[in-house]
Amino acid sequence: MTLQRFLLRRALMVIPLMIGVVFITFMLVRVGGLDPVGRLAGPTATQAEFDSIRENLGLDRPLWEQFGIYLGNVVRGDLGESWLSNRPVLTDIKERAIISLELLALGVGIGTLIGVPVGLRAAFRPNGRFDQLTRILSLLGFSIPTYWLGLVMIFVFFYLLGWAPPAIGRMSLLVSPPDTITGSYLIDGLLTANWQAAWSAATQLVLPVICLAIVSAAPILKQTRAIAIEVLASDTVRYAHACGLPEHIVRRVVLRNSAVPVLTFVGTEVTGLVGTMSLIEYVFAWGGLGQYGLNAIISGDFTAVQGYVLALALFSVLVFIAIDIVVHLIEPRSELS
Amino acid sequence: MAKTTPTYPTQTQPFSARQRVSNRLIGLFRISPTAVIGLLIILFFGVLALFSPWIMPHDPVSSYTDRVLQAPSAEHWFGTDGNGMDVFSRVIYGAKYGFGIAIPAVLLSLIIGVPVGLIAGYRGGLLDEVLMRFFDGLRVFPSIILALAVVAATGQSLLNVVLVLGVLDSPVFARVVRAEVLALRSSNFVESAVAAGNPTWRILFVHLLPNAIQGAMAQTAVRAAWAVRISATLAFLGVGVQAPTPEWGAMIRQGAEFMVSGQWWVALYPGLALICMVFGLNLFGDGLQDLMDPRRRAAK
Repeated sequence: MTLQRFLLRRALMVIPLMIGVVFITFMLVRVGGLDPVGRLAGPTATQAEFDSIRENLGLDRPLWEQFGIYLGNVVRGDLGESWLSNRPVLTDIKERAIISLELLALGVGIGTLIGVPVGLRAAFRPNGRFDQLTRILSLLGFSIPTYWLGLVMIFVFFYLLGWAPPAIGRMSLLVSPPDTITGSYLIDGLLTANWQAAWSAATQLVLPVICLAIVSAAPILKQTRAIAIEVLASDTVRYAHACGLPEHIVRRVVLRNSAVPVLTFVGTEVTGLVGTMSLIEYVFAWGGLGQYGLNAIISGDFTAVQGYVLALALFSVLVFIAIDIVVHLIEPRSELS
Repeated sequence: MAKTTPTYPTQTQPFSARQRVSNRLIGLFRISPTAVIGLLIILFFGVLALFSPWIMPHDPVSSYTDRVLQAPSAEHWFGTDGNGMDVFSRVIYGAKYGFGIAIPAVLLSLIIGVPVGLIAGYRGGLLDEVLMRFFDGLRVFPSIILALAVVAATGQSLLNVVLVLGVLDSPVFARVVRAEVLALRSSNFVESAVAAGNPTWRILFVHLLPNAIQGAMAQTAVRAAWAVRISATLAFLGVGVQAPTPEWGAMIRQGAEFMVSGQWWVALYPGLALICMVFGLNLFGDGLQDLMDPRRRAAK
């Protein structure tokens, strides 16, 4: 299958998934106990005020009609307005997506750079001292609550040592943000040669990125080890050994043969790590899409929740497609399907 | 002198249930000493949860208004929180919530997931296809976001947290059981059971279940760790269990604001307790999976 046909087919498959996602979240937020009307109206509202808000939001109509209207709007690229802030949801999401992507890419990128080599090294000598140690460490990484790690890091590096800036978001209050090009303060600062802004953005990034890297390295390490052990027992590697190839060449064979399953795993992990990242954003007052989503869910902002969930689903699907393409590039044998 | 036939120690009878358990435990220790450490950690928290009234030096929810935010001392080992409550007692009491949420949630997941996996694997066809696609669809969302959204939407009570976690995690067990059933479906013992005229429910629950359940049981400890972690995260976000309930996640939430002003003990200790319990469950679960999965064991 050619790349174009593959992309087209995937794009078509996304549509039913998206409709399903929209439908389920739509029903969930409405049938459930969330009620933004009470919050919007305030404690002293009269019944008439309640009713008028309900009417303005379209909540007085039958459910299927509400759903039809919403779906029609989504198709036209209109995700509606947040009920709490009255801002268009699509704009909010676009602005924040870049912010979260920056954090996610850096955190997971560093986590992969730690997890893969360590996992490989552990696999080369299973049950060795290094393996035992990293196994315990990765299980510990599985067990640490992300938000708690963030809080402890803020306490140690900001309060005790004074190395890190306060956790008040992506930029020091004393520095004016750079002109917007991509939306990421770090990249924009570098592009516009606004070194002060870029430096401030970089220092703010350090703690949340480390936090995310630690938490994402654990599963990647564990999986890489398991994959490499399987590859080490494969015919390919036994043949390489039988040919009398030196150890470092054999290791290159192992690396090459582990690449595809490791990459696929990292791709599937990214989706789960979005949740972890949201918690980190919450603790560091990051103001990205993750924090936006958490706040929307907690405060019962229907339209914002729906937009956020849609964005999440789209992101996951795009990641899966990207992985398929990259795997195909690494391993042309594998079919795009 | 009568000739005595030498007696050899032979195992003539099948192992009793108790012997089987003890054999398993010995096997577990041989294969994975870390799993035994995990088990000990779980038992430790179990003791804390069961005997908390006798261990706690103070009432976990009564506030000493004259001792707000005191640093750890001989009287208050882990200090006091913003309400003047004893953090040490609250951390001990929190073990109850850990078990109280994890055990019923995992049981519920088993009760839902195992039959679904059995039926989907045995029947196959459209039902199986639809179910698996649905489970795949759920994977698009991070579990914490899914749990948060469903708990926020369906009502914030402890019972609801348990129900939501139990339902959301059931696909894990369904998948494992389904995979085993697929492998067993065409084996001789199933076919002869069909030929003997057993009704489908009997084949599923009497013939297939005992053979297909092992993989699911191996997952239970790791899933319990997940449930403890997610329920604490929900409480940290202020959803589900609310402060001042002595639940670890809720306590970390209370202590979060004090981290930047230097009162570290309010959030630190419940977090440490949470890590230890989840770590213990993960250690144990890891060993359990090794024990029950010969392929994983061989890979060691």
